[in-house]
Amino acid sequence: MMKMDCEKLCPEWPCEPPEEYKDVWVVVEAEEGKLSEASLQMLTPGRAIADKLKENLVGVLLGYGVSQLAEEVIKYGADRVIVVDDERLSTYYPRVYGSAVVELAKKYKPSVILVAGTRRGREFAPYVANSLKAGITADCTDFDVDETTRDVLLIRPPFAAILLAYIKTPFRRPQIGTARPNVFPVPKRDEGRRGEVVLERVEIGQESRMKLISRRKVEKARAGVEKASVIVSGGRGIGGPEGMEMLRRLAELLGGTVGASRKAVDAGWADHEMQVGQTGKSVKPILYLAVGISGSAQHMLGVREAQRIVAINIDPEASIFSQADYSVVGDYREVVPALIEELEKIRKGGVKALREILES
Amino acid sequence: MRIVVGVKWVPNTQAVRIDPETGTLIRKGVPSIVNPHDLPAVEAALRLRERVGGEVIVVSMAPPPAVKGLELVLGMGADRAVLVTDRVFAGADTWATSYVLSRAIQKISAEIGRVDLVLFGHETIDSSTSHVQAQVASWLDWPYVYYVSSIEPLGDNAVRVERELEEYEEEYVVELPAVVSIAIKAMKPRPVSLQSKLRAKLERRIITWTNADLKLDPRCVGLKGSPTVVAKTVDMPEVPRKKEVYRPRDPKDAARWIIRKMVEDEKLREVMKGIVGDEL
Repeated sequence: MMKMDCEKLCPEWPCEPPEEYKDVWVVVEAEEGKLSEASLQMLTPGRAIADKLKENLVGVLLGYGVSQLAEEVIKYGADRVIVVDDERLSTYYPRVYGSAVVELAKKYKPSVILVAGTRRGREFAPYVANSLKAGITADCTDFDVDETTRDVLLIRPPFAAILLAYIKTPFRRPQIGTARPNVFPVPKRDEGRRGEVVLERVEIGQESRMKLISRRKVEKARAGVEKASVIVSGGRGIGGPEGMEMLRRLAELLGGTVGASRKAVDAGWADHEMQVGQTGKSVKPILYLAVGISGSAQHMLGVREAQRIVAINIDPEASIFSQADYSVVGDYREVVPALIEELEKIRKGGVKALREILES
Repeated sequence: MRIVVGVKWVPNTQAVRIDPETGTLIRKGVPSIVNPHDLPAVEAALRLRERVGGEVIVVSMAPPPAVKGLELVLGMGADRAVLVTDRVFAGADTWATSYVLSRAIQKISAEIGRVDLVLFGHETIDSSTSHVQAQVASWLDWPYVYYVSSIEPLGDNAVRVERELEEYEEEYVVELPAVVSIAIKAMKPRPVSLQSKLRAKLERRIITWTNADLKLDPRCVGLKGSPTVVAKTVDMPEVPRKKEVYRPRDPKDAARWIIRKMVEDEKLREVMKGIVGDEL
């Protein structure tokens, strides 16, 4: 264990030996009586870190009327769940929610806090980190443990996405990290798993300086790219919004949805919700069909979990060709309509039509 | 209303290329720019000033060349800019950055006038953490809110904001002083007026503060004051892919090659089964 030389450290930081901190926490969000899937996903790396450190995995469940969800968190892999079921948490405010986590963390001293990178998670996690005068690493894609120092390594790609940075916070605890939704799978549910549920109270004040006036659920018309098993994605090579419409037809035929690269979104041809890549969504379809996408490292980071990547690109030098499974060199304005035509035949004629196409 | 907008001077990540020989980043000669996602926040501040009067002050912690970026923002119409610059601030993580920025905001409040609102862009193009907004709010002990698509003044002491979460649209009233993070593309930034840019330059409306002015403990700033440390970097492990590239005779040939792969490749077969049924 590294010896602490408090004189060398920023006096703002509490000078405490890291070994005073134990256990891996995952803050579990609940909404409308359900655990958020993104939070459950964080139990996967949480479990792995806890096992490497030989410490407990603890779910931290905050809200109002959430107690009955605690056992669920255990079934997904937690050893213990700390629950704060409090009417003051019925409306989420980042400072109130964050302060509740801070209060618990000061009491229990966890060595690690993981937060799902949902919109709310990305909002309150840095508040928690700052209030604890601790470090935070966003958008981790993996975690590891340094066996000699017991520091957790929070692994994230910096902006260019061809490197992975291993980040640690050797002098401060807890070590705090977020990961984007769908980077980790939901752990397997174990119906028989038993664990401890601890009901806690916190002193948190109300958010007196900010008030929620209205809240409206928006039905997303399209199925999200996060869940799609087929994604047809357009990039700069699409050349305009009408190209996206063509891709939409192709996606329909394949039983999938439409995605886009950052360049297509920046150009205004596609909605930000559809953006795939480092600054968009991470996706894991069976088929990712990249059309007019050059294959920047930032974009490819979002499709690492795709089972197969098929690319259509007019530029024979496009870097996507060395990162895809099956690539066609060609103008999408010709190839996509031809593909639509053949798939329409197959839709109509079934296996027989398919055989005819294959045999011709 | 006195509004501070935090902006970051970032390498233009779009201009970063990868050396095909070594696979490493070519950083040399990459120009820096004002983080594009900060410009909607500048625009929001200017619109608020147009409605209720007051002053827009841009703040950036950056090396001296960032003056160029601050001139552009002054050219959009900001009243003044504060460049917080010192060698000891270099290498800061988001914690150490937020520490310096929040102290600079407090100094503005003390010396220029009470700051009512701090606006930030959603994220930076070079690290996209979205940390600093919440960290600054925590230092200042102010309410804060992210993902804001619209912001309206409510008298002198509050703003009404709209924001979007994954599945909800929400509206809040936030008392000032507060920190508000403006969503990507929430507002179209106005163009830079060369005339305002020149005038700002002549009137020397960029103030420079070093750590001699802020007087922060050197152990709390820059690399030394960063709780997070980059232990190492490694190449991103490559995902194994088949890398078959086909040059078709014509579009129909291309379509049929793809369809063939969707039958031969056992993973893609699942997708084809979804179209023709399990008898495939």
